[in-house]
Amino acid sequence: MAQTAEAGIDLAVVRELMSHFKPQDHQEAQELILSALQEINEHFGYVSLEAAEIVADHLDTTVNRIYGLLTFYADFRTEPRGRHFMLLCHGMSCYVLGSQQLVQDLKDRYGVGDGDTTADGELTVQVVNGCLGVCDRAPIVKLDDSFHGDLTPDSLNDVIQRAIAARRAAEGSHVNPIRDLHSNPA
Amino acid sequence: MSTLSATSTPIQLSSRADFEAYRDQAVQRWASLWNGNQTVVSVGIGSCSVAKGALDVFAACEAALQGQEGIVRQVSCDGACWMEPWIEVKRPGQPPVIYGNLAPSEISDVLAGRLEARAIGVRAEQPLGSIPPLARLPFFKHQQRIVLANVGVIDPDSIEDAIARGAYSAYLKVLFDLSGEEAIAELTASGLRGRGGAGFPAGIKWESGRKAKARPKFVVCNSHEGEPNVYKDRRIHEGDPHRILEGILIACIACGAERGYNYIGGEYPLAIKRFRKAVQDAERLGLIGKNVLGSGKNVAFRVRTGGGAYICGEGSALMYSIMGVRGQPRTKPPRSVEEGIWKRPTVANNTETLANVPDIILKGGEWYAGIGTEKSKGTKLMTVQGPLKTMGLVEVPMGITLRTLIEEVWGGMRDGYRFKGIQTGGVSAGPLKEEHLDLPIDFDSLTSEGGMLGSGGFAVFDESVCAVDYARYLTAFNRYESCSKCVPCRLGNPALVEILDRIRLGRGAEADLPLMDRTSKHIIELSLCGLGQVAPAPLLGMMKMYPEEFRAHIVDGVCPSGVCPISADDAVLAAGD
Ligand SMILES: Cc1cc2nc3c(=O)[nH]c(=O)nc-3n(C[C@H](O)[C@H](O)[C@H](O)COP(=O)(O)O)c2cc1C
Ligand code: SF4
Repeated sequence: MAQTAEAGIDLAVVRELMSHFKPQDHQEAQELILSALQEINEHFGYVSLEAAEIVADHLDTTVNRIYGLLTFYADFRTEPRGRHFMLLCHGMSCYVLGSQQLVQDLKDRYGVGDGDTTADGELTVQVVNGCLGVCDRAPIVKLDDSFHGDLTPDSLNDVIQRAIAARRAAEGSHVNPIRDLHSNPA
Repeated sequence: MSTLSATSTPIQLSSRADFEAYRDQAVQRWASLWNGNQTVVSVGIGSCSVAKGALDVFAACEAALQGQEGIVRQVSCDGACWMEPWIEVKRPGQPPVIYGNLAPSEISDVLAGRLEARAIGVRAEQPLGSIPPLARLPFFKHQQRIVLANVGVIDPDSIEDAIARGAYSAYLKVLFDLSGEEAIAELTASGLRGRGGAGFPAGIKWESGRKAKARPKFVVCNSHEGEPNVYKDRRIHEGDPHRILEGILIACIACGAERGYNYIGGEYPLAIKRFRKAVQDAERLGLIGKNVLGSGKNVAFRVRTGGGAYICGEGSALMYSIMGVRGQPRTKPPRSVEEGIWKRPTVANNTETLANVPDIILKGGEWYAGIGTEKSKGTKLMTVQGPLKTMGLVEVPMGITLRTLIEEVWGGMRDGYRFKGIQTGGVSAGPLKEEHLDLPIDFDSLTSEGGMLGSGGFAVFDESVCAVDYARYLTAFNRYESCSKCVPCRLGNPALVEILDRIRLGRGAEADLPLMDRTSKHIIELSLCGLGQVAPAPLLGMMKMYPEEFRAHIVDGVCPSGVCPISADDAVLAAGD
């Protein structure tokens, strides 16, 4: 699973990851930029400026070009993820069966839209414009490493709260549940 | 013993005879797997079934068979999403039986034969007791599997399984027996048209590639599949990666290209993993590299992955993405077969197109041309989404009707849902209604009504879906995915979404309808690439099929389906980008 905001990005790990990219020439180096960024994004949940600089150095390009890519390709983030990361499928099966209501409910309940993280850093939501390919259980989300299907706004909220509660129980912390804008208008 | 992924480290093959000996051995091992005194349990493991607990089912099978004469192996999902997680049990002396919709806790009963209620079908001509032949179930009955022949049958991580079932035999033919011209002549005779949406004849494209003079040349397989309506290409990767790789390698040899590429959508980790494994194994075996099998021919290979930008499925954008820049289309000419990756001639085909190639080379173009309709040859992978009973990926001959697909293959509407329409062509065409369901599906027939085959992804929607809201969803997709390079698409699509939002909020005016028509015309005529040129098509299709719904919002101030936030306040306007 991706590391969280507190952990930051360990640049030694980035250098280790980069050491596996061994381009033979400048053309191949350019072909490897996206793969390198994908690896970092996968590992840390985002690509920081410092990490981008290491990639730029390793593959003999500029950090500006890297930023051009990070902001063009939807899979990349330049900010840390929350403690939980959710892909919300907005493919056609999911749309037909109500994913729009899920998107709306997340906005109403937690104040988050595509790419946002809740104010308490618990949850990052990414709306997938393509298709996650589990269409017979639409609408579906992938929360951290598991899929949850046939969702309604309420059952999605249960899924999120349970994941957070389970993580907290495992960590032994006793903080209040994630702030729910519906029940806590204050 | 269990094999979640095959472990064999193949030896390097350096001649045709080496390969044939290896193949003979693989065929024998494959046969002995099925004829032994052991129970063989195959578990369907694909990204879709993993989401439903297939890995736990696999573990339960291993546990249940502990200490018994049996083997548990992985295969991939075979397209039948509706029966996942599923296993196939081959007991000694009996044909294989498929059991579906399983929970891990049920596995020991299933394997002991105590839960026959979970049996879905038997792989045999005749029923086994009360279990019907799989091939007679409506979902399988209409299928003719060429591309999917090995999907759900072989272990996708095993090159040996693939070769036992015929992989790389067509490649061998192209390496040793056929000239490039002859191979391409088979492709031309087959009538195979591109499966990526546009339906361009593959033979013609390869011929231009072969004739191109500049060096080096490349072949690229377009496995981006970023549309919100389709999941076929990633299933081929997950189920039979060697078929795709073989198709690409054949294209390289036939067109004289030095290097093949496969560009896979970054969102499909399992597809990428299995395909990379396939490439590694083929390299190790000597099917990729210098002087392949002593033929004197060289071919190199690279896998590249996308980053979640739909536009990177467009040919020129895809090539920019491979070159490590933003995937923004360019004006044509020059076409990619003249100037593609690194400004070198590049033949680009869709995954499914290339996956058809091995069988065409082996069995001949004429054989392939005998399947399908006059202008659309062969089979087509089709996927469906929406509230249907037996959903999944199927491979059917071109010319099948939408009605057969919806009502038989996909089992009809789920209880409590009433059919309203079917969105065709993904985000690039319009919907069709009940009265169009008897149209044959091929590249040309659906277009007369504003529909399109596209990549074969259909989305059935029911009466709870509002045509205006759906039009907004489809237009918003194109707005979001616009690469912003040219003005008509960058500004036109947001304008359409803005007007649609006005209508959804009950603030539309009658003049908005012709305004959307005019704006659409601008976008279609003036946009640079295929995204903008068809972006308004879904909206125009919805307006054509459901004019009364648009009028109800505008004139009566009601959303007949009760979906749109009519009379809600502006805060709602930004919903769901
Ligand atoms: C916006 C856009 C997205 C596309 N996405 C894909 C895709 O995901 N996969 C694909 O094979 N073709 C896609 N295409 C079509 C390709 O440009 C190209 O026609 C196709 O890959 C050629 O292969 P074929 O002749 O085998 O179909 C897309 C086109 C456009 C305009
Ligand atoms: S039509 Fe749209 S996607 Fe295509 S080049 Fe123009 S802005 Fe980019």
